[in-house]
Amino acid sequence: MTAARDLLKRGNKPARYSAATLAKHGLTGEIWPRVWREPEWKSTYDVVIIGGGVHGLATAYYLATNHGITNVAVVDKGYLGGGGSGRNTAIVRSNYLTPEGVAFYDRSLTLYNSMAADLNINVMFSERGHMTLAHTDGALRTMHWRAEVNKLQGIDSSVIGPEDVKKNAPSLDISSHPRYPILGALFHPPGGIIRHDAVVWGYARGADHHGVDMHQKTEVLDILVEGGEGPEGKGRGGKVKGVRTSRGDIHAPIVVNCTAGWGSLISNMAGVKLPLTTHPLEAAVTEPVKVFLPTVVVSGSLHVYVSQTDRGELVFGASVDPLNTYSMRGSLAFTEELAGHILELMPGIGKMRLLRQWAGLCDMTPDYSPIMGFTPVEGHFTDVGWGTYGFKAGPVSGETMAECIATQRTPKLIAPFNLERFSTGELVGEKGAAAVGH
Amino acid sequence: MLLVPCPNCGPRNQSDLRLVGESISRPDPNTASREEWGAYLYLRENVADWQTETWYCRAGCRTYFKAERNTATNEFRNPPMPGDKVGSGTYITPSVGQPQGEQS
Repeated sequence: MTAARDLLKRGNKPARYSAATLAKHGLTGEIWPRVWREPEWKSTYDVVIIGGGVHGLATAYYLATNHGITNVAVVDKGYLGGGGSGRNTAIVRSNYLTPEGVAFYDRSLTLYNSMAADLNINVMFSERGHMTLAHTDGALRTMHWRAEVNKLQGIDSSVIGPEDVKKNAPSLDISSHPRYPILGALFHPPGGIIRHDAVVWGYARGADHHGVDMHQKTEVLDILVEGGEGPEGKGRGGKVKGVRTSRGDIHAPIVVNCTAGWGSLISNMAGVKLPLTTHPLEAAVTEPVKVFLPTVVVSGSLHVYVSQTDRGELVFGASVDPLNTYSMRGSLAFTEELAGHILELMPGIGKMRLLRQWAGLCDMTPDYSPIMGFTPVEGHFTDVGWGTYGFKAGPVSGETMAECIATQRTPKLIAPFNLERFSTGELVGEKGAAAVGH
Repeated sequence: MLLVPCPNCGPRNQSDLRLVGESISRPDPNTASREEWGAYLYLRENVADWQTETWYCRAGCRTYFKAERNTATNEFRNPPMPGDKVGSGTYITPSVGQPQGEQS
């Protein structure tokens, strides 16, 4: 266990990244130390978090830093950040439609803003502005609605006309020729893109330095529950005893489900049925070219969003596939449709070539808002229903879930996102701002 | 593109049809409790396995039918034939406004 020895040598203190260490490693050719440990297997923890993505790792990190709970395991059936955290299009914003959603995502944006300093890792946050195009009168009306809700909460968000759209993104076609002409846009200057892998690694590194154990390639096969009214003592009224994994049992009084696309499968293990359907969302990236697109551009009517990375590649994302499936294979039909829509927006990029496409799983809820907090099974917490907006909510979800677990009370910020709302009917309808607009 | 086995039109491109969703039975709205109705509206099994689901052949014969698909691999099995038994339920033509149909 070289990694563990390294950690002991530096006294469990995080090795800081800085210009000086970069120069030193560059000049001496010294090998960088392993960033996190491969922990020894332990069969008892205070908290087990299922899912090693942004949400799971952020929850572990904030449990350790904000609440001093460090006897925590994060288990993942694959590798850290291999699910939605590494497959999203890395867009962050807070211009949502409901007051509950706006307050929640704005806190996330605040945490993203200071993340590079907090986690001492370069997350390459580019606050470049986010434009949601309106192609119909109905869409324009929703944009005005969103802008007013946003302004009331102090968020920089306003509706702009086609000329300003052209100023922000000169490659867009604002003429009246396209099938869906651009009538205006909701402009949100604090939105932008961020390097999603660095966010995962930052949280993983931070959590590791505080003593959290991250067990990769460890698949959860069952959640051990006693005393419930369902079969095998699961379900409502039960109490969590631990999890059964592919490497053995772990005893823990608290088990957190942070598995997004696979959320139903994990939740069913505890006897808690969720209002989720899992759909793939496909994305694609082009070859790199000189920077020409300075903002993030989203079109709800054309089901597409596009941004240009610092490397110069255009990253495209689409809406979720209409088919519920756990298969992440792409399709030619998707690529054709996406390319057609992009060309309608930006006719000038017809000769660019696609490098690759991929898909990630989205656990869609009926109201496009997440499901967070307590479940009818004692000790089983849920942080799922992240649909197409999970990445941008990562930091705040970790912070609020950690508070929920540590204090055993639901924080105000996530109270509207409880599981009971699907039987009481108090849904948080966010479809107008989350369905395609990323 | 996925080829969906329509009982009347045969295998058709997915874009010709619409997936309504998992086939679920509708409780009696006069007697159902709030929880039962909420469960009918929202709760889904969402399995990564064989699923009996309802399709609408929107660009073809315009009927609703049930099919069995593996949601992990997107394979279909027991392709339905007109009036055939499909999976756990029977293929029926639902009345207007009740696309889900009843399992029988």
